[in-house]
Amino acid sequence: MTGTRARIAPTEAPPTQIRQRESLFSAYRTEIAIALAIALLALAVGSQVPQALTWGNFANITQAGAPLIIMSLGVLLVVITGGIDLSVGSVFSLTGMVTAQAMANGFGGIAASLIGLGAGLLFGSINGFLVTIAGLAPFVVTLITFAVAGSLAFIVTNGRSMPIGDPDFWLLNSGSLIPGVPNYILFCLVLMIAIEFFLKKMVAGRWFYAVGSSSMAAYLLGIPVKRTKFMAYVASSLLASFSGLLTISYILNAESTAGSSLMLQAIAAVVIGGASLLGGTGTAVGAVLGALMITVIQNGVNLIGINSFWQGSVTGVAILIAVLIDRFSKSRRGAV
Amino acid sequence: MKSTKHAVRLFAGVAMTALSISAAAQAEEKKTVAYLAPSLDISYWQWVGYGVKEKAKELGMDYVEYTSENSPAKQMDNARTAVTKGVDAIVIGPVSSTSTPPLLAYLKSQNVPIAFAGIGPQPGQTDYTSSVTANNYETGKAQGEFVCKLAKDRGGNQVGMLSLPQDRENAQKYLKGAEEAFKASGCDLAQMLETRGLTVNEAVTQANDMLTAHPDIKAIYGMYDEAGTGAAKVLQTRGLTGKVGIAVADGSPTTISLLKSNAIQGIFFQEAVGQGIDGTQQVFNAISGAPVKKDLALVMPLVTADKVESPEARAVIARVFPPAN
Repeated sequence: MTGTRARIAPTEAPPTQIRQRESLFSAYRTEIAIALAIALLALAVGSQVPQALTWGNFANITQAGAPLIIMSLGVLLVVITGGIDLSVGSVFSLTGMVTAQAMANGFGGIAASLIGLGAGLLFGSINGFLVTIAGLAPFVVTLITFAVAGSLAFIVTNGRSMPIGDPDFWLLNSGSLIPGVPNYILFCLVLMIAIEFFLKKMVAGRWFYAVGSSSMAAYLLGIPVKRTKFMAYVASSLLASFSGLLTISYILNAESTAGSSLMLQAIAAVVIGGASLLGGTGTAVGAVLGALMITVIQNGVNLIGINSFWQGSVTGVAILIAVLIDRFSKSRRGAV
Repeated sequence: MKSTKHAVRLFAGVAMTALSISAAAQAEEKKTVAYLAPSLDISYWQWVGYGVKEKAKELGMDYVEYTSENSPAKQMDNARTAVTKGVDAIVIGPVSSTSTPPLLAYLKSQNVPIAFAGIGPQPGQTDYTSSVTANNYETGKAQGEFVCKLAKDRGGNQVGMLSLPQDRENAQKYLKGAEEAFKASGCDLAQMLETRGLTVNEAVTQANDMLTAHPDIKAIYGMYDEAGTGAAKVLQTRGLTGKVGIAVADGSPTTISLLKSNAIQGIFFQEAVGQGIDGTQQVFNAISGAPVKKDLALVMPLVTADKVESPEARAVIARVFPPAN
């Protein structure tokens, strides 16, 4: 027996490593399931349209999904605290219009972008203030700012779409700060890692989960509940703004309605990624995978040539399956 | 002193009466036209409104504007409000053709002439003064022929289409005309994708996906302005500008600049301002007893990249959007 152990031991990982692997698997169980689902979806589309599995199409998917990914990361922060942000689509559009208009008024790309991000900061602060200080329901507050920011997006240019004036503005999205990696991919990766690290490894990040699980308990534990919620809304709006900047940098055109369909998609992405709308759960990796799944579905529908009106139904079914799997796995873990 | 005061009062009274009669007479002479837009967040409907306003000014009419916010109920409310306020005629871009029968019945009961611009009444309806729309079927045929020629000039016969939602009557007619032209000219429609959001961003994604699935496509037909802008962006990114042709319907400052840089090869202009002008002229004729043309189906004129600076093209563009754009 001893001899057998001695032969096997060098090829096996030490027990600590196995436990770490198991806990990593357990911590990202939902995310791994989504990643597998995305891979299966891509293979299914690829069986119908071989070009779906090319690098070119991978680039299409990541480029099309980047704004949604970034917006979803912001929405995730609010959802973890038990809130909701319905204003992100309007803030996305408003940022684009304000930035384009600033460029038309002679501002350079960087200054105009900062003005655009200022719109995001303003609306995030208003959301945070009304939710935390005024004590209004997040749904009502962000419904109001959704309407106001959406209306302002039209007012800025009287509803006209605006071309982007700065000839170098495309670099924000399609340039490469790291050679070989387009900026839109870099931004998505950096933001995902930074937010995941913040949520999982930093004390202030853990507060988000605590506030979302129970505001009262968090308050009694001395966690700054209002400040945490305020920061979540500001971060959500700023990321929606940044997402808007990235989009106008890509298409070099700003439109008042550009973000109108993104808000629901972002919330869907967060839910697909394993976050609960009741708060207290969710990961950045999950939100990114949720956004990627929605983008892969849209891409697949287009490639196969299914009527695009079906996209909403397919996405709805994907959300339902994700929620059911999550509920099923939680109840099984509870039973164990 | 007392008699002086009395005289002043009498003079003031007479002056006020005279002013009131004069104002009433002027109001009676000056007619008012109301423009009912389905929504003003789309440039096209703003441009129709510009045409109505400019023509009203030229004809000595007052102009008022209402927006229906894409709601048939709001459209009906607006019509009632306009009639209550005493407008003499209405030019309408309806929310949809199917929303028009109750509206037409009401305006008939009130003897208010109505002209349609952009979108016509529901087929079978006759109680309207005039309908000024684009001839979508014939334009679709012309677009199909042109797109097929673009593809053949580039050594292929496969074409792609970025379509308006096919639940719209104008989109169905465009498609029918284009499909017939493709067949007659020997081209294959490799793929058609319908928009939901009418945004450039969506068109970029769709054009990318379409060219990924069908790399042999040699020409793209954009049924709305943002489709052409999105397709041009995709071709630029892929280094295919000029190698895949683009034709687009509607026309705007953005697509005209793309036409000038040869990123788009042709635009079939929808005369938004012109439809407003013609609709206003017809309702003015109706209230002044002049002859009226009931159905004006305008074929959308094609302007190609090499002719965009010609006087004819400039005249066409003047009927598309206001000069400030």
